[in-house]
Amino acid sequence: MATETTSQRPLPAPFNNSTDSLTLITQGAEALLYKTTFLTPTTPAALKIRPSKPWRHPTLDKRLTRQRILAEARVLAKCKRDGVSVPAVLALDWENGWTVSEWIEGVTVKEALRKRNLEEGDSAVQSLMQRIGHAVGTLHSIGVIHGDLTSSNMMLRQDPTTHGTLDGDIVLIDFGLATQATQEEDRAVDLYVLERAFGSTHPREEALFGVVLEAYGGVYKGARATLRRLEDVRMRGRKKSMLG
Amino acid sequence: METTHLPHLPDHPLHICLFEQVQNASFLRRQLLEGNTDFEYAFLDASVLLSKNHVLASCFRSINDLLNNRLKTRNVHSEIVFALSPNSNIAESFRRFGLSDDSKNIVAIKVGGDRAKIEEHLLANVEGKAVELTDEALAGMHDAARIRKIYRLEAPKKGEVNVLSRESEALLLGSMALKGS
Amino acid sequence: MPIAIGLEGSANKLGVGVIQHSVTPPSPHDSAHSDDEVPFTSRRSKSPPVQILSNLRHTFHAPPGAGFLPKDTAAHHRRWAVRLVKQAMKQANVKVEDIDCICFTQGPGMGGPLSSVAIAARMLSQLWDKPLIGVNHCVGHIEMGRAITGADNPVVLYVSGGNTQVIAYSAQRYRIFGEALDIAIGNCLDRFARVLGIPNDPAPGYNIEQLAKTGKVLLELPYAVKGMDVSFSGILARVEEMAAKLGPGWTDPESGAQITKGDLCFTLQETVFAMLVEITERAMAHVGTAQVLIVGGVGCNIRLQDMMGLMASERGGSVFATDERFCIDNGIMIAQAGLMAHQMGFKTKLEESQCTQRFRTDEVLVNWRD
Repeated sequence: MATETTSQRPLPAPFNNSTDSLTLITQGAEALLYKTTFLTPTTPAALKIRPSKPWRHPTLDKRLTRQRILAEARVLAKCKRDGVSVPAVLALDWENGWTVSEWIEGVTVKEALRKRNLEEGDSAVQSLMQRIGHAVGTLHSIGVIHGDLTSSNMMLRQDPTTHGTLDGDIVLIDFGLATQATQEEDRAVDLYVLERAFGSTHPREEALFGVVLEAYGGVYKGARATLRRLEDVRMRGRKKSMLG
Repeated sequence: METTHLPHLPDHPLHICLFEQVQNASFLRRQLLEGNTDFEYAFLDASVLLSKNHVLASCFRSINDLLNNRLKTRNVHSEIVFALSPNSNIAESFRRFGLSDDSKNIVAIKVGGDRAKIEEHLLANVEGKAVELTDEALAGMHDAARIRKIYRLEAPKKGEVNVLSRESEALLLGSMALKGS
Repeated sequence: MPIAIGLEGSANKLGVGVIQHSVTPPSPHDSAHSDDEVPFTSRRSKSPPVQILSNLRHTFHAPPGAGFLPKDTAAHHRRWAVRLVKQAMKQANVKVEDIDCICFTQGPGMGGPLSSVAIAARMLSQLWDKPLIGVNHCVGHIEMGRAITGADNPVVLYVSGGNTQVIAYSAQRYRIFGEALDIAIGNCLDRFARVLGIPNDPAPGYNIEQLAKTGKVLLELPYAVKGMDVSFSGILARVEEMAAKLGPGWTDPESGAQITKGDLCFTLQETVFAMLVEITERAMAHVGTAQVLIVGGVGCNIRLQDMMGLMASERGGSVFATDERFCIDNGIMIAQAGLMAHQMGFKTKLEESQCTQRFRTDEVLVNWRD
């Protein structure tokens, strides 16, 4: 992002003493994501650092960092156990504020769609949409809400032979806002956020969003009630009316 | 014996050796119980080790906990044994992952120290055949059913062979990482 | 040079102000006086340079331990409206002929007080034969904040007794990125002040801020951030339980000192402000700006400003805030936003001038910005 500046704060231990390469990939409000290696010099890994926030009371800051690192890791572990395709958690340190997870080789769905060859036609997009719906449906069927479903938070696992196509397994990433919730509203909002994100980021593919919902219905048993709720959410928008 | 550096831990080289058909596990175990400081190693029973990453992940966590002054056990070597466990029961972790009198295949690990001396000491004191620690070697030694039980992995479906996949490794590492939270 | 009078009365403050937009930047000596006689001129802003000719406010204070009721507040506004308008005109040294439009708060806010002030505005409009401009209270805060601070395109944190919103401008709307899902931040603070029985004068939030400075112990409260939204009712319930526990039997396990009202105020502020800074930061990352503007009554809180400042500087930006003349509800901000709309040809017909308690910030077409 244009105005993001890298505040050069030291990395947490043990990475502050590291002689191995650490490449900053993204800097969000909550966390910094680095590409690095883990366990062996040839195993790529993702290092997510949640820096301490100097404006927060240190006690509160520690508590939040710990809670969030653990919440995210627990959700990822649950997903892994229950068959949702997510990066594996390799290590974490909730006191120093970092998590190491599996590096997913490939591109985000956002990049893949933006760079796609338009002559390929809709069938490749349709297949992609199906895989997305399948992934989200599986996620919801195990009782997990992602909380920030966008095309940037979905990877296509690819190797050099599939590079540049829309092929590859969907891997859901960035569970920083995920919750384990069972309310219809939460699932509906999760879908709504994804729908809106597609509308604004991929207007050309938006028309095919129905395929996502169809595939979602194919794997998640409670889909009918969620999709009905989604209609309500669409009508009112995500926000309720506010009393002044 | 292999000497390796875990990424990000340049000051803590690992000396690792896998021994096959070990004859004197009870002797080695006694040295640990008696606190013989010449035997400051992590001795792991290979029957419960899924892969090389499984071993390295426990080393990483132990050294990181050492650096942060929060070892739960006596030293970094006992901590490596403990770190393999998915729960915080220390005695149980030693029973499951450490030496028993009838351990056959064992992994010996030393953090830091002089490579030549360590190799010499290990080869002189462990009565077994030193082989390279690889995923293939471990696959031939481990008890998949036992690992599944310890880490509460789902049993294989009927008709499937009981082998542990890469996905299983992810589950193991996740459980180890979340331990103590 | 266009001049507007603005009337605000959506809550317990009645404000009347007169503003002038200069075609050319005025010299620093031109500026007239705000209510506390500090001259103020802004020329840094991309919005037209504004001169505050007068800015008067009269506040209805409920007795300690009580909140202000719509009925009493409406009566207060009716009692003071005429006097305040006369005084504001006099202090601004303008004649009726100089006024271009009558601006008033059309919502959101409390029905009774809003209506009282709307009646005054309609009367002036007909009496003086000047166009009426209905203004969204939140947009008033944002436009005034921009004009005063010179913040060009900030993420806006609007925090008051009735509102908690994180707002960013996009395509001629002030869009709400995040908000409180239950009670507003100011309401949460006010209600806690009532629980502690601390005075409502000059403002309950101000008194909490002062007490918080004496607090040392951070107790554990829920922390309720969901994406870019927050909620405060659970936090209020918990801190109220804590207030009931205060006494010689409750001490800090580390220091042995008794837990005080100050500790509770400190805990509450540290927790809820951290939540506000967090959602603001998330919005800033989302839209890619490093500027943040705090408006609304709670925006006067120095601790909130300091926390926000630390966050913004980490992102290579800065925080813009105004003092109590502008961040607390006032007539000037209504005049400012109203005049901007007026210059785009906007007018509120008499038959469409009814107030609305619910009036979302993103309903207003902000056609005076690109």
